[in-house]
Amino acid sequence: MTAETPARPPRTRRGSRRQARTDLPRPPADAAIWSQGLTRCYGTRHSVDRIDIHVPMGALSGFVGPNGAGKTTTLRMLLGLIKPSAGHGFVLGHPIERPAEYLSRVGAMIEGPTFHPGLTGRANLRMLARLRRLGPERVAETLSMVGLASRADDRFASYSLGMKQRLGIAAALLPRPDLLVLDEPTNGLDPAGIREIRCLLKDLAGGRMTVFVSSHLLSEVEQICDHLVMIRDGRLLFQGHVTELLAAEDPRLVLTPEYSCDAARLAALLGDHGLRVDPPERSPDGSVSVHAPEGSAANLNRIAMSAGIALRALRACRPTLEETFLVATGGVDGDLIPRSRSSPDVPTESPDDPADLLTAGATASTSAGGNS
Amino acid sequence: MTAALRAEWIKLGRSRFFFGTLAAVVSVATLGAVLTMLSVGRRDYDGVPVTAPAMSRPDGVMQGLEAVSILLGVVGLAVTAAVIGADYTQGTLRNQLMAQPHRLRLLAGKCLALVTFMMTMIAAATVVAAAASFAIAPIRGVDTAAWHSLAGLTEIGKGYLNVLASSLGYATLGLLAGVVFRSPAAAVSVAVAYALPLEMLVSRIFSPAESWLPARLMDALASGARGYRIAYEAAGLRILVFCAAAVAAALVLFARRDVTS
Repeated sequence: MTAETPARPPRTRRGSRRQARTDLPRPPADAAIWSQGLTRCYGTRHSVDRIDIHVPMGALSGFVGPNGAGKTTTLRMLLGLIKPSAGHGFVLGHPIERPAEYLSRVGAMIEGPTFHPGLTGRANLRMLARLRRLGPERVAETLSMVGLASRADDRFASYSLGMKQRLGIAAALLPRPDLLVLDEPTNGLDPAGIREIRCLLKDLAGGRMTVFVSSHLLSEVEQICDHLVMIRDGRLLFQGHVTELLAAEDPRLVLTPEYSCDAARLAALLGDHGLRVDPPERSPDGSVSVHAPEGSAANLNRIAMSAGIALRALRACRPTLEETFLVATGGVDGDLIPRSRSSPDVPTESPDDPADLLTAGATASTSAGGNS
Repeated sequence: MTAALRAEWIKLGRSRFFFGTLAAVVSVATLGAVLTMLSVGRRDYDGVPVTAPAMSRPDGVMQGLEAVSILLGVVGLAVTAAVIGADYTQGTLRNQLMAQPHRLRLLAGKCLALVTFMMTMIAAATVVAAAASFAIAPIRGVDTAAWHSLAGLTEIGKGYLNVLASSLGYATLGLLAGVVFRSPAAAVSVAVAYALPLEMLVSRIFSPAESWLPARLMDALASGARGYRIAYEAAGLRILVFCAAAVAAALVLFARRDVTS
């Protein structure tokens, strides 16, 4: 849900530091990541605007939003790389103003894998391992975990993008983290590599590690994540379980006439019955997509039959996370409507702001998530 | 801090970088020693005659190294600026800060690693310069007996420390430039442009500035302040103040600035 919490100015005066600590909000005990009114401004532009995040412990959470939404800025703030302009954030129960208190339990790869190009993969990890006071055996272990052991002694500059990604994940796994933060972890991986990383992330989350994954591959997020944080223009659009987000959306029925030349006639016919129909040209196989719940399938079949149009197929189709994301973030024309407003007999319209739908549908989940 | 020092040495110790820098300083030291010995019987850059008796004194063995102290300083400056700046441009600083969130410890460890690196490089340059001087001195009629004496060894030690101090001074400029510009190319070019042409120009136009400009003071320190208006101790003290200010500024910037690259 959109964050409405007014931002508090950050307390920076030395004299009030002790008082500021006592004034800090207290994150829920089950929160791996929690923020309240977290804001980051660059001049007059709000890159991140009062977002309230709650990622539960042990969740495999996806962090999605279009380019420039503020994902990386948020991650940077959570990892202590940049300071928030206002608001509070907590990672593993510790305030983000004091990253030294929690970063030993956090593994992260943000803005892609960045390593010294002249060093081997192993040497790059050894460097980070030394900083964390870890031995070389942990380096070998993580290299094996990501399937990079055989190329560990090659220079980083000679690695493919996929191998660089694996090394980045290995670096994040070095400290045996309680919280793993990954930015586009499957970027550049081939399908087999994507599957491996997907399995690895599921295994890690199964082992009580909290995984927070920023990704543009929404099909991946849909497959691996049970929890989702969606932002746009620095504002929180939705957070909660993926199933709750998808359930809040407009179900569709896809009707495929026996002869594709009947598609336009069928679309017009359904439109005459007050149904909202996607333009048939959107569907290259001659199908007609109607915004209607699954229960109205029989009625639609009858309407088609009455006009002498035989249907070859009739199936229910729920929007994917990708479609939901594009609608919510303004990537395509909005066709998302609350389920209660969709019926075969009542024409429906898109909400003015697609985000309204998400916030409406997600209220329960975000409230349960501890947002204020 | 020791963890950061040891981690930084993985980067500094990679063969191409280590031996590349070593080759550069050894070449510069050899060049300095050879040209200095070959200039016996001629006049130096400032028009002062270079004589065999003068070169035969205990401090003659280090004349070659001291003559190229500016170049060794530039190596120190460039290495430091490039190493610190590259951490920003390559994005490796992000990983390092997540592994060592105490920023001051991280930078202190990096600085210590660079100091030990420079100590190694200048030690190699000193040995090579002394060896080259010993090899060429007989050809130019320079008596090396005094160089073998305890006084000669002391001069070698003093020469090493002076050139090292000067190079570390230059390296401090490189550190500040690296942290300010967060890019190796910008840091090296701006710092070198400041330390060499700019300061030289200013001191040529307004000679009293020579006693205050950091790079000029480092040159004075490298040669034991011989031929300079300022006393050795005063030069050392001023450099210490400048370096302390530069390190403090670098630490504050490193600790407080956002890491966005």
